[in-house]
Amino acid sequence: MAILRAEHLSKSYQMGEIEVKALRDTSFEIQEGEFVVILGPSGSGKSTLLNIIGGMDLPTAGKVFLHEEEITVYHERELTEYRRNKVGFIFQFYNIMANLTAEENVELATEISQNPLPIDEILEAVGLSERRDHFPAQMSGGEQQRVSIARAVAKNPEILLCDEPTGALDFQTGITILSLLRKVNRDMGKTVIVITHNADIAYMADRVIKMRSGRIIDDHINENPVAVEDIKW
Amino acid sequence: MVTRRNKFRIHKIDTMLMRMIGHSKGQFFAVLTIILIGIATYTALNMTSINMNNTVETYYRENNFPDLFLQIVAVPSQEAERLKSIEGVREAMGRVVIDVPLVTENEKERVNLRLITTTGAETELSRSTLIKGKMISDSGSEALLIEQFANARGIDVGDSIHIQVGGRQHTLEVTGIVANPEYIYLMENVQSLAPDDRKFGICYVSEQFGRQAAGLSGSFNEILIRYDDNAEEEALIDEVEDALDLYGVKQTIKQKDQLSNAIILQELTQLDTMANSIPILFLLVAGLILMMMLSRLVKKDRIKIGVLKAIGYRNSQVLMHYVKYALIAGFSGGSAGAILGMALAGGMTKLYLDFFNIPLLRIEFYYSFLLYAVLLSSVFCVLSGMIGARGVLWIAPADAMHSEAPKSGKRILLERIPFFWKRLSFSSKMVSKNIFRNKKRSLFVLAGITLTYAMMLFTTSMPDVMNQMMNEHFREFQKMEYNISFRNPVHQAAAGDLEHLIKVDYMEGKLEYPFELTNGNKKQAVSIIGLDRDTKFYTFRDVNGEKIKIPKRGMLISENIANALDVDNGDLVQVKSYIPNREDVYIQVQGVIKQTLGINAYMDVDTMGETLLEKNVINGIYANSGDPDLYEELIRASNIASVMSVADTRAVYDQYMTMMALSIGSMVIFSGILGFCIVYNATIVSLGEREMEFSSLRVLGFSKREIFFMIVRENNGIMIAGLLLGVPVGNMMADYSSAAFSTDMYTLDMSPTMNALIMAAVYTIGFVLLAQLATYRKIRKLDFLQALKNRES
Repeated sequence: MAILRAEHLSKSYQMGEIEVKALRDTSFEIQEGEFVVILGPSGSGKSTLLNIIGGMDLPTAGKVFLHEEEITVYHERELTEYRRNKVGFIFQFYNIMANLTAEENVELATEISQNPLPIDEILEAVGLSERRDHFPAQMSGGEQQRVSIARAVAKNPEILLCDEPTGALDFQTGITILSLLRKVNRDMGKTVIVITHNADIAYMADRVIKMRSGRIIDDHINENPVAVEDIKW
Repeated sequence: MVTRRNKFRIHKIDTMLMRMIGHSKGQFFAVLTIILIGIATYTALNMTSINMNNTVETYYRENNFPDLFLQIVAVPSQEAERLKSIEGVREAMGRVVIDVPLVTENEKERVNLRLITTTGAETELSRSTLIKGKMISDSGSEALLIEQFANARGIDVGDSIHIQVGGRQHTLEVTGIVANPEYIYLMENVQSLAPDDRKFGICYVSEQFGRQAAGLSGSFNEILIRYDDNAEEEALIDEVEDALDLYGVKQTIKQKDQLSNAIILQELTQLDTMANSIPILFLLVAGLILMMMLSRLVKKDRIKIGVLKAIGYRNSQVLMHYVKYALIAGFSGGSAGAILGMALAGGMTKLYLDFFNIPLLRIEFYYSFLLYAVLLSSVFCVLSGMIGARGVLWIAPADAMHSEAPKSGKRILLERIPFFWKRLSFSSKMVSKNIFRNKKRSLFVLAGITLTYAMMLFTTSMPDVMNQMMNEHFREFQKMEYNISFRNPVHQAAAGDLEHLIKVDYMEGKLEYPFELTNGNKKQAVSIIGLDRDTKFYTFRDVNGEKIKIPKRGMLISENIANALDVDNGDLVQVKSYIPNREDVYIQVQGVIKQTLGINAYMDVDTMGETLLEKNVINGIYANSGDPDLYEELIRASNIASVMSVADTRAVYDQYMTMMALSIGSMVIFSGILGFCIVYNATIVSLGEREMEFSSLRVLGFSKREIFFMIVRENNGIMIAGLLLGVPVGNMMADYSSAAFSTDMYTLDMSPTMNALIMAAVYTIGFVLLAQLATYRKIRKLDFLQALKNRES
């Protein structure tokens, strides 16, 4: 069953006198519990797509449905509710709050969500139980990204949206983070969408969507996803 | 599924806020200090004002303070009773008032005592409150002494005092020490400037003694009146004056013009003005600082705001996160300020009451002010916070994740003047560009320094202004050493008799009488002074500063009379005499003169005698004398009413100036704190905003000191402009204050002097440099390399 469906999405915006077409008539479906990798070079429109599915931006044309409910008609307030309860974001540069500890960063999100997961369990799951009282400045990049994952997962969202989650990390740490995302996907049953320009990450995905110049050029099911540990780049 | 552990815990977004405050504690405390001062001033001054107003009102009510005072040549006792039949007169009574010299052990000391008769009745108008001892009996030589004078001279109940009346010495036994609403502020007359409790006192005696001393058997020379609540004052005064016309009304004084009351009213009005203007000024500055800080913070926190919104925080929640910063500053500064203000209010009220000598003590704490004050500062800060942080609303979460496009560079105004621009060094060019780059903040610092300097200028001008006023009056305008008044007028030729008593270097006769000057419906009671046309004791200058002489016909009037009556050169003024059976006379204004102290008109002494009184009379002399026994000799003379020494008046003034230094000092500190906080905050904000730029400079090889001095140069550039702008602003404040503080008693010309310009500049520069030194610590602590790595900077 499709958890997310996009129909003929287009997005254009003005940059000075030039009209930039970030998305052009893009349609796809994502099934519940899938681990999806959206692959594409810079400027292919993948971040714009993620922002629209994440309720952070609205398309110029087209529709997005979550469980058959159209989110592209939502107003500001409904979009906020959507971001609050239905999706969790993980960013390339972690974007965790510098003046909150690991645990507090997670609580920042759980405090406003309707159905949060137990913080202790989440911190345990991402391997940060021992570092819960540390501030970001006292943690490595990988640890900070774990906090970011914990913050996204703890809200108990239906979909995790990850924008280049390994982009700022070294290979080994990147692998650890991908394993964690896979674990969240498999063990918790969360749908995970990862956007990346790193083609190697696509090997672990259940579904791969390739983009170029605002269009989907390929959308296929990966019949044999490889184990994260086997990925190399 | 789990959930919240405790309903009342602090939300993490608030934890973030508290840590944000902790991180910027220097700036936060700077704002807090300004709010605290503003609110403490608001609470303290308002509560003092209410307490003072209530106390004075109660004191006046309980002691039957009169609504009207009429000084009369002599009015038969029964006339006072008859006045009660006039509509609107609730109470009327007569009394005898006479100024006499006190005989002291130091025969050279000039001490005047005002004898006032009292019946001691509960219903008596201007009733005294007994502080110590007992009231006097109806007859005999018992006396009550006013508290300020008794304290100053160490006179107590049971002591005897000696007075000189009509050439004879009398002894009075002090039975009680009293306070009286008429002499809350104990001043001999308008010229006294400030109370001198050792030199002038009030002594209440029986009617019998008073009449005997004044030579008024069966009569009074003053009538006191209280009105009905709904009485029409002007109509009532006309009717009372008509009824007493026969007896020679010398002067009619309304309650609002009664010397002590007028000073108190003026003081209370000034207190009210300060209570409402100073706090607003401080809150405005605090509000502006908060706006600047928050708008900067929002820009800096762009990504953080985007993330909060991406997580699911609403616009309103994120906005409130920043507004709460302002609210906490407003609430905590307001609460602490209100508590401090309350603590100060008690002390201030007591100080005022002690200063004014009011025996009642009605210090009440109006707790509602706590609420008002906290509400005022909170609302003010929240509004400032909302304006400052409103940028939160326009940050879209999707855009916030990208770096902001750099602002397009523009040429500054100076660059368009190539002649000037080419001659600047590279670093001066950078400093100039930086000043113009963030115009809003530069303008804010400029306004802050301008305000600080203007306030400093205004404050430091005060002593100079007062000194100048004194010098102008006592050295340039008047030059006599003694002003001697006679009890009764004498022929001009008789003035020479004085030379048998005292050694006089030079003297001139004078004729000084109160009159009412009228122009249309405008009236003003003034003393007209008759002088030799070639007087050496006065130098008159018109409003343009040109010297003018007393005309043969007509009169010169001081500027404040001209304004009050709306008359100018050449206009005719109606002169109404208080002496019975005198026709009103019209006299032409021949010149409007500058006079800083007092309100007077001047005429040729002969013309004045002829036109308004009697030919060839004088009622006093001005004299210069080195005679050490002058005072001692004069008080023995029967026709001497008073001897005023200019040196004594100046001495009192000097004492008053010492007191003033304290309030000037505190104003300088307050103004300095404002300047300090503005410059400190603006610099810290600027540092935060330019971390990347400074980091790049560090990489290029600039030292922390060099970067610090670059900021110092920017601030100094603005400071110089601020000082220059501060001069006209300070002048404007001075002009406004000249108008506001000038009264019938004195005309203030508050134009800042060179000394004040320099002192104010020194203080302002001092506080600005201090603020910059405080920011140096921050510069040292900034991790420039980290800033280069930090995407948010």
